[in-house]
Amino acid sequence: MVPVQWYLLLATAVFCIGLFGILTRRNALLFLMSVELMLNAANINLVAFSAYWGNVTGQTFSLFTMALAAAEVAVGIGIILVLYRNFNDVDVTLAKEMRW
Amino acid sequence: MAAFDYAPAIVLLPFLSFLVSLGGGKYLPKGGAFGGIAATAGSLLLSAWVFLTVAGGEVYNETLYTWAAGVGEGTTTLTFGLLLDPLAAMMLLIVSLVALLVHVFSLGYMNDEGETGLPRYYAGLGLFTASMLGFVVADNLLMAFMFFELVGLCSYLLIGFWFRQEGPPSAAKKAFLVTRFGDYFFLVGVVAVFATFGTAKFAGEGAFPVLAEEALNGASEVTTFGFAPETWFTIVGLLILGGVIGKSAQFPLHTWLPDAMEGPTPVSALIHAATMVAAGVYLVARMYGFYALSPTALGIIALVGGFTALAAATMGVVKREIKQVLAYSTISQYGYMMLGLGAGGYVAATFHLMTHAFFKALLFLGAGSVIIAMHHDEDMWNMGGLKERMPVTYYTFLAGSLALAGIFPFAGFWSKDEVLYETLIHGLGGSPLLLAGYAMGLVAVFFTGFYTFRMVFLTFHGEPRSEIARDPHGVRWNVKAPLVVLGILAATVGVVNMVPVEKLLGISGIDFLHQWLDGGLEALTAHHYGDVLPYSSAYVGGETTTVAIGAAVSLGLAVAGAGLAHVLYNVDDPTEHTAKLGAIKTLWYNNYYQDEYQVWLANSVVLPLARLADTFDQGVVDGVVNGVSSVSLFAGSRIRRIQTGVVTNYAALLTLGLVALLVVFGVMGGWFA
Repeated sequence: MVPVQWYLLLATAVFCIGLFGILTRRNALLFLMSVELMLNAANINLVAFSAYWGNVTGQTFSLFTMALAAAEVAVGIGIILVLYRNFNDVDVTLAKEMRW
Repeated sequence: MAAFDYAPAIVLLPFLSFLVSLGGGKYLPKGGAFGGIAATAGSLLLSAWVFLTVAGGEVYNETLYTWAAGVGEGTTTLTFGLLLDPLAAMMLLIVSLVALLVHVFSLGYMNDEGETGLPRYYAGLGLFTASMLGFVVADNLLMAFMFFELVGLCSYLLIGFWFRQEGPPSAAKKAFLVTRFGDYFFLVGVVAVFATFGTAKFAGEGAFPVLAEEALNGASEVTTFGFAPETWFTIVGLLILGGVIGKSAQFPLHTWLPDAMEGPTPVSALIHAATMVAAGVYLVARMYGFYALSPTALGIIALVGGFTALAAATMGVVKREIKQVLAYSTISQYGYMMLGLGAGGYVAATFHLMTHAFFKALLFLGAGSVIIAMHHDEDMWNMGGLKERMPVTYYTFLAGSLALAGIFPFAGFWSKDEVLYETLIHGLGGSPLLLAGYAMGLVAVFFTGFYTFRMVFLTFHGEPRSEIARDPHGVRWNVKAPLVVLGILAATVGVVNMVPVEKLLGISGIDFLHQWLDGGLEALTAHHYGDVLPYSSAYVGGETTTVAIGAAVSLGLAVAGAGLAHVLYNVDDPTEHTAKLGAIKTLWYNNYYQDEYQVWLANSVVLPLARLADTFDQGVVDGVVNGVSSVSLFAGSRIRRIQTGVVTNYAALLTLGLVALLVVFGVMGGWFA
């Protein structure tokens, strides 16, 4: 039985990689992937604590999170396609026409 | 009663004719005239039915429609309703009769003369009639105000009927603006009545004249905004009087009326006899129970009326156009009505309102007939000798003139005499102010007799003074028939109220109008007003003697005026004697320079004040608002820079926020201790 702290460390590492990706990259596809990483870090936490307490509610909840992630990707890809069509690129810093 | 169920149709029928003429007048024969005639005839029949029902002792005072219901305690409910009492029933009959005759006359004056734009004309007439009828039956002050304004609007539309010429649109604007100036005070007065009494009903349980009376007796309390009730009621009364002075063309707001002669002559007849101008006096009569409580307001009404009667009569003496003379006579006659109302002669003033409606409609229609004959030349100095060439017009016009001058036994004699008589006895009874009004009224009688017969002699007698007058254009039945109807009325309608005969010969029971106005709702009867009025009566050597002296003096003066006109103008080739008046003639011909004075007032007093207000508004009021908004604008222009539009920045800020929160929670929660 792996102690729960290791799972937490793993989740923190994954979350930080995702955050780093969002803060440093300009490619919208990489944004989506980074968000996926952060969501999955949360999933790891849910499953780890679920196992630790012997309660399946957390695991059930992580299933919902995956469904949500799928939906989010569907919408996100749509937005990225429109972005590409308008700017011929998927660089998120280009789309600032609508700000003040 | 069945008649009352159909009463709203009296108002709605002419309104329907307005809609029909407006929407489909150009597809109808005669531009929609027949629709108007049918509608006003229907109104007349229904009015007669209502009149007979009211004569049977029935009174109707109901709210028909609530368009704004007050919520909670002490709020006001705004309604439409009908009040059909003897006064309203009488007025309905007059208005619908005159409107019908004017519609018929218009066939001759407008259709036969080949005017264009007739659907617009008949639509205007229909709406005008409907507005006035709605005003007459209104059961509360606000409804009356709304129809009062509609009447003003219609007068604007009709006076400016020939809008392609230069004069009519300008006259229409003037009429609209001058009466609106008075109506502004009226509106404030309506609001004041609501604020004071919480209701504006004329009659019935909790009507505002009743509440005012109770407040003066101490029987109940009303909001008087810190004034004594008497003072406050006088203020409210005078505010409403502003509207009356504007509409009934009393000094100093009479200037619109002579200019309103620019409109078609049948419209002038309608305005002067039954609708627009009558509305003001009718309003005072309608809420007489309220005015009777305020001696000051009554005194002002009497003085304004007396002064207007005299001033307008003098101006009428020197005019050249037939319609101008009639216009000043209208102002003068409404002055008499106001004098009568102010002097406590409620019945007398109402009587004069009625007789005047008939003889003034007659005179205007007669003038219209003359104008048709003269190919629309209105200058009396181009007329003359029309007597033989248009006998029907001459004899009916003569009947109207005798009535206007107040010659026995024509209608005007009885009513004008009663107005003056009431003023005299109440003046002798301890109100010297009324004696001043009486004196002005008496002098005006002389002038009235003079200018009336100057007009008659110049128009109909002597030798023709122009080619057109030698061979005038003929008029048809549609002109003659209304003239004959009104001519008979002008000659005979005085019999409804022969008070002098009653008093002198001791025949009781022939003061029918007194009995009529004494019926109906208790608080709206003539004897109730008599109880409330602050006047007492005194006589010169007994009542009978006073009646005889009063009648003899006013008749004598009228005959003297007419006689002077006969001497000066009833000759084959009359000349302008008015030149002998010298400077006074110029003064009268220019209407005491009232127009110039008012223009000066507007240009040199109101305009600088308005400029000052504009500067204040632009500089101070707008300055403050602009200052406040510029602070927001500046702050926004700086703060918006944090919205970079780059999603990475937002994410960084989110993360920083999260970290900051974690640190705060950590420190507060003692994780690092």
